[in-house]
Amino acid sequence: MAPLLEVDDLHVHFFTRDGVVKAVDGVSFTLEPGRTLGMVGESGSGKSVTALSIMRLIPEPPGKVVSGDIRFKGRSVLQMSEKEQRDMRGNRIAMIFQDPMTSLNPVYRIGKQIGEPLRLHKNMTGKESVAAAAELLGRVGIPRPKERVRDYPHEFSGGMRQRAMIAMALACGPDILIADEPTTALDVTIQAQILELMQEIQARTESAIMMITHDLGVVADMADNVLVMYAGKAVEYGPADEVFYRPLHPYAWGLLESLPRHDVDDKGKLCPIKGQPPSLINLPSGCSFSPRCAYAQDICRSQAPPLAEIDPGHSSACHFSADKQFIAQSPRCAMEGR
Amino acid sequence: MPLPISEFGGKGRTLRGDAWRRLCKNKLALVALGWIIFVIVIAVSADLWVPRVLGNPIEIDTTTVAQMSLNAPSSAHPFGTDFAGRDIASRVIYGARVSLMVGVVAVAIMVLLGLIAGAFAAYYGGWWDAIIMRTADIFFAFPYILFAIVLLALLGNGIQNVFIAIGILGWPSIARVFRGSVLFVKENEYVDAARAMGASTPRIVFRHIMPNAIAPIIVYATMSVGGAILTEAALSFLGMGVQLPKPSWGGMLSEAQTYMTSAPWLMLYPGLAILTTVLAFVLLGDGLRDALDVKMKG
Repeated sequence: MAPLLEVDDLHVHFFTRDGVVKAVDGVSFTLEPGRTLGMVGESGSGKSVTALSIMRLIPEPPGKVVSGDIRFKGRSVLQMSEKEQRDMRGNRIAMIFQDPMTSLNPVYRIGKQIGEPLRLHKNMTGKESVAAAAELLGRVGIPRPKERVRDYPHEFSGGMRQRAMIAMALACGPDILIADEPTTALDVTIQAQILELMQEIQARTESAIMMITHDLGVVADMADNVLVMYAGKAVEYGPADEVFYRPLHPYAWGLLESLPRHDVDDKGKLCPIKGQPPSLINLPSGCSFSPRCAYAQDICRSQAPPLAEIDPGHSSACHFSADKQFIAQSPRCAMEGR
Repeated sequence: MPLPISEFGGKGRTLRGDAWRRLCKNKLALVALGWIIFVIVIAVSADLWVPRVLGNPIEIDTTTVAQMSLNAPSSAHPFGTDFAGRDIASRVIYGARVSLMVGVVAVAIMVLLGLIAGAFAAYYGGWWDAIIMRTADIFFAFPYILFAIVLLALLGNGIQNVFIAIGILGWPSIARVFRGSVLFVKENEYVDAARAMGASTPRIVFRHIMPNAIAPIIVYATMSVGGAILTEAALSFLGMGVQLPKPSWGGMLSEAQTYMTSAPWLMLYPGLAILTTVLAFVLLGDGLRDALDVKMKG
């Protein structure tokens, strides 16, 4: 059987006045029911563009999927008609946005808004959809949902709004939930609640989650598989435990290094990755990460490394990932050995 | 008994309710609104009482015209009478019907055209935007009243053509304000969320963008009613709008010119009617702007 979602060597380019922005430049992954994929990377690494491409929400022009394919239940979403796309959006694949303060329309009551996908996809009447919205609000942990459906968004707090957004995404029982940095705009305590809620929902509904974030803590909590992106490319892809405990790509090392640690009792500074991500219009020759990589050799600056499977199910795009001695230098490995 | 109160403030607070409360705090706008309602009530109910109480606004009573001509204001004719012995108050009230009708119909035409043009320009962008907005710029470059006169010369005089002329001349400002407003609203995440939910383009434009982008248009349209009344008065003054002997404020002013020194009330009352009504619409628009919290741009 085909997996729920297959993204196959996806290239998404934006044709701007300044040149071609290669926002996504060869990304592949699969998603199975009930599993969670964590997509991590710095801002501008192509995470959101990948997600939006799956929903066919890239503004065209200037954006365009130039090659590759996205298959949902074996069907290419790139070949779907506008009507089929709309039937899929919000119904089979739903999305949660980053900023709950602006992702609810201020002029409609909460109930009416959460009910909108039901009216669109399930032919519910206004009354039925609001009743269903109340039930959904209760499911995402909002007290007195039957009264709160009559509220306007400005009467909800940030955490409550994100719960409302999740309720809206869940309304039609989607197969895939795409969450684009769902906790970035929230307080840390609320973040934990929202993540817990998502896990709870996943356990109950068997839906797949695609979690886009730059918070590695979130990925460690939630993800079964991790895709690390850099400058539009997948640089490391594998099971979460593997990527966390045996990271193969120096960029992944850098990401892990730049996390504050609680288990090491030194008052040392954080170790950020030096420099800025490259311009997506003029990518450096060879490996995109080479200008910032502490281990870069001549070959890195001349030849782009392909994403290659190093261990079963765990691949990396680095010339030296297969080199056991090189991997042993991984700061994380060194740390584990201490 | 205390009313049930939700965790974060009173129940049933709506955006419209909030705006209304803010408008009520603005005394000047309330007075303006009161005046507008007063004028509307008087004008709409005119047929019921004005001819009986004040006299016919159009017909000239040939038997009494000599002694009734150019009488100063009195208890029987509170605003005086004109050269043909007709009651000025009666004519001002019937003139209000014309002015209000122009205000409503002409502004409705210009808002309709402006909304469609502005929405297209903002939502589709690119060529649509360039063509629509450059056309608007061309309209802005014409001298307004001259353009209106030319249009009326082409279409013929008369009140319907005044509606059309004002509508055609007014749409570019509405389009420009609405375009800016839509561009601003379009960037909100709830528009992306609506698309991600599977909403169609018309649904997104009409259900999600329009209601959030309409506030500046309400303000602008209210103020434009005043402008439309002024334009109609100017055109009727020049004899291109409402045709005499039908009463209109501009036409009355035109007739009054001859008697400016001998019978100044002929000019005073229609002039005051224009002034107060236009001012009321502008003040109400100002109050609405504060109440709806819109910053005028464009």
